[in-house]
Amino acid sequence: MTSLDLSTDRPARRHSLSLSIGLALVGLNVVVAILTLFWTPYDPLNASGGRLEAPSLLHWVGTDRLGRDYLTQIVIGARTALIVGTGAVAIGASIGVTLGILAAFATRLLDDVMAATLDILIAFPTLLLAMLVVAASDSASLWSAILALGLAISAIVARLTRILAKRVLRQDYIIASRTSGTSWLGVVVRHVLPNIWPTLSVNFALQFGLAVIAEASLSYLGLGAPPPNASWGRLLQEAQGTVYTAPVGAIAPGIALVALVIGMNLLADGLRDVGDPTRGRTR
Amino acid sequence: MSALLSVQGLTVRAGGKTLVSNLSFSIGSGERMGLIGESGSGKSMTAMAVTGLLPANISVTGSIVLDGEEVVGAQDKHLNRLRGVATAVVFQEPLTALDPLMKIGKQIAEPVRRRLAREMGQAPRVAVDREVLDLLDKVALPQPQRIANAYPHEVSGGQRQRVAIAMALACRPKLLIADEPTTALDVTTQAEILKLLDGLVRETGMALLFISHDLPVVAEVVQRVMVLRDGIALEEGAVVDVFANPSHDYTQTLVDAARMFDEALGRTG
Ligand SMILES: Nc1ncnc2c1ncn2[C@@H]1O[C@H](COP(=O)(O)OP(=O)(O)OP(=O)(O)O)[C@@H](O)[C@H]1O
Ligand SMILES: [Mg+2]
Repeated sequence: MTSLDLSTDRPARRHSLSLSIGLALVGLNVVVAILTLFWTPYDPLNASGGRLEAPSLLHWVGTDRLGRDYLTQIVIGARTALIVGTGAVAIGASIGVTLGILAAFATRLLDDVMAATLDILIAFPTLLLAMLVVAASDSASLWSAILALGLAISAIVARLTRILAKRVLRQDYIIASRTSGTSWLGVVVRHVLPNIWPTLSVNFALQFGLAVIAEASLSYLGLGAPPPNASWGRLLQEAQGTVYTAPVGAIAPGIALVALVIGMNLLADGLRDVGDPTRGRTR
Repeated sequence: MSALLSVQGLTVRAGGKTLVSNLSFSIGSGERMGLIGESGSGKSMTAMAVTGLLPANISVTGSIVLDGEEVVGAQDKHLNRLRGVATAVVFQEPLTALDPLMKIGKQIAEPVRRRLAREMGQAPRVAVDREVLDLLDKVALPQPQRIANAYPHEVSGGQRQRVAIAMALACRPKLLIADEPTTALDVTTQAEILKLLDGLVRETGMALLFISHDLPVVAEVVQRVMVLRDGIALEEGAVVDVFANPSHDYTQTLVDAARMFDEALGRTG
């Protein structure tokens, strides 16, 4: 199995375990989130049972202190988490990758200025930044949280992109491509982005997880989306007072949160392995 | 006569250090010229200056007229129209000269597509694909279809260099710059690649700037040579003259070293 394989066949793609588990966890989350748009087990806003009921066949995860079905809150929380993670990473990726690529191509002076600015922004704790933005906006809304987290992520992504792109730009194949007349935009699209994508995508997954956790933290602190939008952070906060009498209320959203974050990381890891043609060779 | 490439007083500096100083030479259409000198003598710097692709922290002065256009100080957009049309480059290290994440066929297709679009106003996929396979065949790669579908790490070093040559040929440049194209290869492969390059250059009639530190290699493919040391041109002339009567001690040492190496290998003249 150690021979250098130069045959025509693609190297056999290892069916990565992390890919399967990640796909299952994230996929479940996505399916549940979409489902909540059409159907939830119970009405999320009104009581459907007694207060703080223990898990039962009717209420799988019990009810909260207002008698509302807890599972319903959690599945709606899945939708919130997905919106936050996707939104924040989309904003962070588009701004960050653009800035990072520009910095990598910029003149020495501009590049230094951008690098220093990014370092300062990154030194600022994300959560604090998000709290400031949310507190500054009139009403605490999901969108101001997403915007704040997206901006914080964009600084991190920009710094990473800049470093990765600079490394790629030094490669001979870039110069070779340039000598044959490829424009710099062509170089970015055809060579730089594909070559930095494996590392970037793993970072996006990491940021996705951090954004979901950050939003939960904001909600936990009362700075998240107002009540009709159930958030795992707010569920955790509400369950705080009854954690000894009804522990399921705290455990269930916690598990959901951890499952999504881990799933996202496993998925990214697995995708990177599958997407990299040079990987199959060494195993 | 107006030369294809005319370099006048080329000086390249980086951080207060002069890497190439006051270099002048010219290459006519279809002419084959060699640039030799030891490692660090500024050969690659000269070649990159011609393509206008030196990093921003390296300053270039003097004049480089390529296919009637001044390269020194020109806008990148302007130079981009020259690149590929007037020049193409084959590099020393065949592994790093190819994008590891792009299939070989796709990498060659790029310059082919650009050239077809330029020459005929359009580049239909079938025509591009056919041309890519033709090129792979031309550089004597077996099973072009298979190679086109492979990633660079899936073919051998010598095959990669053939691919790099195919990429350069895809441009149909007027001047091919080969920067030590055989240095990273074993002796047998070296000889094959050299023969291939030599044949292709003669067949297509393009001019060649061949860079090497290996005298016998240079002597095989070019008509004229220029000897470079520490960025200074020591001498220039027809291959036979320079090697038969080196007017400079340094050239003499290069000739002697090559001869000794040949003798050690049991090669003859
Ligand atoms: N980016 C750079 N900045 C400053 N100096 C450089 C840079 N790149 C190369 N040099 C220096 O320029 C000189 C000439 O380098 P060049 O690459 O042209 O040598 P060369 O003749 O091609 O050598 P080799 O045969 O090893 O390829 C060397 O002394 C090298 O240290
Ligand atoms: Mg060199």
